[in-house]
Amino acid sequence: MPREAEPSLNEKAFFLQALQDGHRLDGRKFEQFRQLDLQFGDQYGVADVTLGKTRVLAKVSAEVTVPYPDRPFDGIFTITTELSPMASPAFEVNRPTEQEVLLSRLLEKTVRRSNALDTESLCLIAGQKVWSIRVDLHVLSHDGNLMDASCLAVVAALRHFRKPDTSMEGETLTIYTPAEREPVPLSWLHTPLCITFSFYGDEGEMTLVDTTLLEEQLKVSSCTISLNKHGEICQVAKLGGTPVDAVSLVQCASIALQKVKELSTLLDQKLAEDSKRRNKGGLLAELSAENAR
Amino acid sequence: MATDSEMVFVLPGDGIDASLIPTHPKRPLRLGPGLRHIPPSTIVPTIAGQLVTDHKKNSLWVEYNGGRYIPAVGDLVIGQVDRSAADFYYVALSDYSSNASLPQLAFEMATKKTRPNLATGALVYARVSLANRHMDPELECVNSSTGKADGLGPLVGGMLYSISLGMARRLLMRKSVEEGRVVVLEELGALGLAFETAVGRNGKMWVNSEDTKTVLIVGRAVKETDEGNLTVDQQKKLVRKLVKEMS
Repeated sequence: MPREAEPSLNEKAFFLQALQDGHRLDGRKFEQFRQLDLQFGDQYGVADVTLGKTRVLAKVSAEVTVPYPDRPFDGIFTITTELSPMASPAFEVNRPTEQEVLLSRLLEKTVRRSNALDTESLCLIAGQKVWSIRVDLHVLSHDGNLMDASCLAVVAALRHFRKPDTSMEGETLTIYTPAEREPVPLSWLHTPLCITFSFYGDEGEMTLVDTTLLEEQLKVSSCTISLNKHGEICQVAKLGGTPVDAVSLVQCASIALQKVKELSTLLDQKLAEDSKRRNKGGLLAELSAENAR
Repeated sequence: MATDSEMVFVLPGDGIDASLIPTHPKRPLRLGPGLRHIPPSTIVPTIAGQLVTDHKKNSLWVEYNGGRYIPAVGDLVIGQVDRSAADFYYVALSDYSSNASLPQLAFEMATKKTRPNLATGALVYARVSLANRHMDPELECVNSSTGKADGLGPLVGGMLYSISLGMARRLLMRKSVEEGRVVVLEELGALGLAFETAVGRNGKMWVNSEDTKTVLIVGRAVKETDEGNLTVDQQKKLVRKLVKEMS
């Protein structure tokens, strides 16, 4: 099994020295993200996030299935992550690394367990037919901070996605093709996003956001905070590593709030741009079968 | 350099015009990387790139940027010590490829008792002494005929940057300014920055200086030149911008 290439001793020593002098290798500030770009595909539900050299693609698909017997009123919502050897030779197909497991678990906690998607709205006929929403996440290029990029990609793809419109008449369920009726967006409750902090130094006294791969390999511990733009924290994960002060964690949380606000604004703006691009001639409102309540 | 300032680009499988192949009355024709000889007299490129000929040496090769480093005898490389065995250090030249071996006695003035002690993760500047297709390459840090180090040996301190193979080749050219069109290092030196560098053909550059800031400036300048494929004027502008930003 290929091992991840370790940075050399010179790199480790120099990196820490530079941090103590207040410099990052690429000249960013400690609390600065890399160049972030978000693109939507031609289809609904495809989001492509580029963060520096990290690139992540999320694709949402929907199908009608039978619900779980213990939850007859809930739709099914799954997120699958794949770190393919394309992103880094250290990843192998069908053998999830620890990183991959952590990534999918954190996404699960952030998006699914925080009830960002209202799964009850996915129910078509109780106990018989529900929508199953599936998000496939592909890491195309890995240069650190997969967590934040993936979370943004998943959330953006879900908010961009439209599922086919349906109607119930008596006992018959009709699912309309996009040609018959304009697809409808998912019932989305809030927008949680992740911000990952990495700590450096003997006692974790230096904090960086949006680390590159090299920076990530040299961290002493890290902490991922998921929250929405209203400051409601969905989860905090600090898995092992050097213990960190309570004060610096509180500081991290306030930085996270500020970053999430920026990211949410960007996401809203990109979604608006995309819908404007699709809505040529303002015909979309007429095609929609939803009544404005 | 290229034939009469006009660059010739080839694709894999292209035919090579007979007029481009250098003819020398005495020396045999030498084929470099990216070319394959099919007997009796066909030469076919195996990779896309710029066809370069050297009439004096009667040689012909394809210059390309990218791909994995393939060791060749005489190349200067920067390796990272992976582990040490009884008589050898095993040194990684590029990530995820098999290690090269560096005999522990292949250093200047090294004897059984005075050989250098390199920890895992240490960097060495070495020359490839043996490179065969199906064998792990061998390195040396000493000129075997004179017994001198010639600047090779362990690299202490400083920072290692990854650059593209093409950039490494350009930096290692004898006239890197005229032929390679890289002026960043000269420009940085002209602005009064004191630093030392070592460039490995395997796409690595080591930079050291007394001042952390200088190392950062040099590293960023070279990486940005490499990634942006900057022209000479753009490089000069970049250097001025970086120095201003960091001071």
